[in-house]
Amino acid sequence: MEKVQNMQNVKNVQNTGNARSSRSPFKRMLHHIRSIYQLKIGVTILAALVIVAIFAPLIATHDPYLLGDELTAPPSGAHLLGTDGLGRDIFSMIVYGARTSLLIGVIAALISGVIGTLLGGIAGFYRGRIDKVLTEVNNIFLIMPTFFLILLVIALFGSSMFNVMLIIGLTSWVGNARLMRAQAMSLRERTFVLSSTAIGESRSKILFKHIIPNGIFPIIANTTMNISGAILTEAGLSFLGLGDPNVVSWGQIVFNGRSYLTSGWWISTFSGLTIVITVLAFYLVGDGLNRVLSPKLRANY
Amino acid sequence: MGSYIGRRILTGTLTIILAIIFSFLLIHLAPGNPVSILSGRDNPSPEMEAALIAKYGLDQSVFVQLGSYLKNIVQGDLGQSISNNRPVVEMIAERIGPTLLLSLTTAILSLLIGTALGIYCARSAGSKLDSALNGISYLFDAMPGFWLGMMLILLFASGLKLLPTAGMVDLRADYTGFAHYLDVLKHLILPGLTLTLISTPYFFRIARSSVIQVMSEDFVNTLRATGMKESRIFNKYVFKNAILPTVTVFGITLAYIFTGVAIIEIVFSWPGMGSFMLKAISSRDYPLLMGIYLILSVSVAVNMIIVDLLYAFIDPRIRYK
Repeated sequence: MEKVQNMQNVKNVQNTGNARSSRSPFKRMLHHIRSIYQLKIGVTILAALVIVAIFAPLIATHDPYLLGDELTAPPSGAHLLGTDGLGRDIFSMIVYGARTSLLIGVIAALISGVIGTLLGGIAGFYRGRIDKVLTEVNNIFLIMPTFFLILLVIALFGSSMFNVMLIIGLTSWVGNARLMRAQAMSLRERTFVLSSTAIGESRSKILFKHIIPNGIFPIIANTTMNISGAILTEAGLSFLGLGDPNVVSWGQIVFNGRSYLTSGWWISTFSGLTIVITVLAFYLVGDGLNRVLSPKLRANY
Repeated sequence: MGSYIGRRILTGTLTIILAIIFSFLLIHLAPGNPVSILSGRDNPSPEMEAALIAKYGLDQSVFVQLGSYLKNIVQGDLGQSISNNRPVVEMIAERIGPTLLLSLTTAILSLLIGTALGIYCARSAGSKLDSALNGISYLFDAMPGFWLGMMLILLFASGLKLLPTAGMVDLRADYTGFAHYLDVLKHLILPGLTLTLISTPYFFRIARSSVIQVMSEDFVNTLRATGMKESRIFNKYVFKNAILPTVTVFGITLAYIFTGVAIIEIVFSWPGMGSFMLKAISSRDYPLLMGIYLILSVSVAVNMIIVDLLYAFIDPRIRYK
C-alpha cells in the first residue's frame, strides 16, 4: 500500500503522506515550510552562482589569468580576496572558476543520471537474467575504488575538462540505477502499466512512456546531489594536479595555495570555502526536492 | 547461508577481475602505445621494448596479452616502477603500513562516533540537538577533505603551534620504544581528525535513518502496547535490528575511506601510498599508479567479503536462509 501511494502522482501522494503521520497538523505544517525554506536558500545560492558564472567577465575585477606584480598580497581594496603566488587575483579566479566547477558538476551528474535511469529502469522493468547481471555490475561499482580509476584514466588520457566530466559521469551512476530499479520494480505491477501491456504496447515503449517518466522523481533529487559529488571529485583531481590546466578551477586554487598556507592563508581558504558553499547549496536543493517529491520521507520525519 | 556467501565472494572476485580488465584496457586504449605506457618513456631502449613485448606478449593476440597480463599479476608482479626502477609490489609493500594505520584509525573512529551519534539522534529525532548534528554532518560532508586538513593545519599548527603538521615521526628527534609510538600518535592526530570529521557523517546518517526506520515498524508499537519500557524496547529489540545495516555498509566504505586517506596523506606529507601517488602522477609512473589501483581494488573486495561473512554470522536471518 505504502509503495503504491509512493508512486502515485505527486499531489495525491502528499495528501496520503500527511494523513499517515501521527504528528499534530501544526508540526507537520512547520516541517513542510522548513523543507521549502531549505529549498529556497539552496535555490537562491545556486541562482547567484549561475549568474556569477554567466556574467563572470563583468563581475571579475581582474583577468584571472593575468600574472600581476603583487605576489601573495593579502585581501585589500585592490584585490578583494588577495592574490596568489603568481600575482593573480583570487576573487576573479574564484568567479571564473564557478564556470568550470558548475559545468563539470552539471554535465557529469547528467551523464550519470541518464546512465543510471536507463540501467536501473531496464533492470527493474525487465527483471530476469538482465536484472541479475545489471545488479551484479551495480554491486561491483558500489565497492570499487572509483576515484582511483578516475585518477588513472585522467593521468593516462589527459586532464581536459571533457575527459574529467565524462569519466566522473561514467563512474557515478550506481545510486541512480538503484533508485530507478526500485521504482521500476514497483511501477511494473501497477494497473496502468498492466493495462498498457494488455492493449499490446511494446515493452520498450512502456519503459520509456510510463516507467521512466513516473519513476524519475527520486533520480532528479539524487542527480542534484550528484552534482556536488562531481564538484568534489573534480576538486580532488585538481588537488592531485590532474585538473584541466587551461581553465581555472576552485580545486586548483586550493592546490596552489598549499605551498603558501602560512604566508598566504587567503588563497586556499576562500577558494575552499566557495566549494563548501556550492556543495552545500546542491545538498539543500537535492534534499529539499527529495522531501517535496517523496512523501515517504516527509511522513516518517 | 551458502548461497549468500557464495554470491558475495562472486561479487568480490568479479570486482578484482574487472579492475584488472580496466587497467589492461587502459594500457591499450590510452594515447601512445602499450610499450611507452608500461615503460613510462616515449622512446624506450630497444632492449627494454623487447623485454616488455616478451613479458606481456604484446606481439600476440589480445587474449594472449590479457592472459599474460593476468598471469603476471597473479604471480604478484605488478611491473616495474619507472621513477624508482624497482618492482611496484616492493614499493607498495613499504608504504602500505602508514596508509593502513591511518585508514583503520579513521574507519574505526568514524564508525564508532558516527553510529553512536546517529543512534542518539534517532532516539530524539526532531530535537534541537538532532537538527544541529544533522546540519553539521552535511557541512562536513560538503568539505573537500584536503581543504579541511589545510584549515586545521592553519588553526592548530601554524596558529596555535600545538601539533606537528607533516610526516609520521619527528625526523630530528630519534625516538625509540614508547617515545616513538607517542611521537607517531602525535603526528596521527591532525590527519586522523580530518579524516574522521569527513567520514563520520556517512555512518551518522546511516545509523540514524536505520534506527528511525526500525522504530517506526509495527512490532515496536506492539511492544509499546505491552507496556514495555522505551529503553528496554530499544536495547533489546531495536538496537540489534538497526545496527545491521551499518555493518554491511562498513564493508563497502573502504574505497571511500581510501580515497580520503590518499588525499589527506598528501596534505600532511604522511609517508603512505597517497603521497607516493602524487609523485607517481607527476613523474608519469603509470605502472605504479596501476599497481596502487589494483592493490586497493583487491583490499576493498577482500574487506567486503570479510565483512559480509561477519554479517552472515551476526544475522541469523541470513545464516538460515
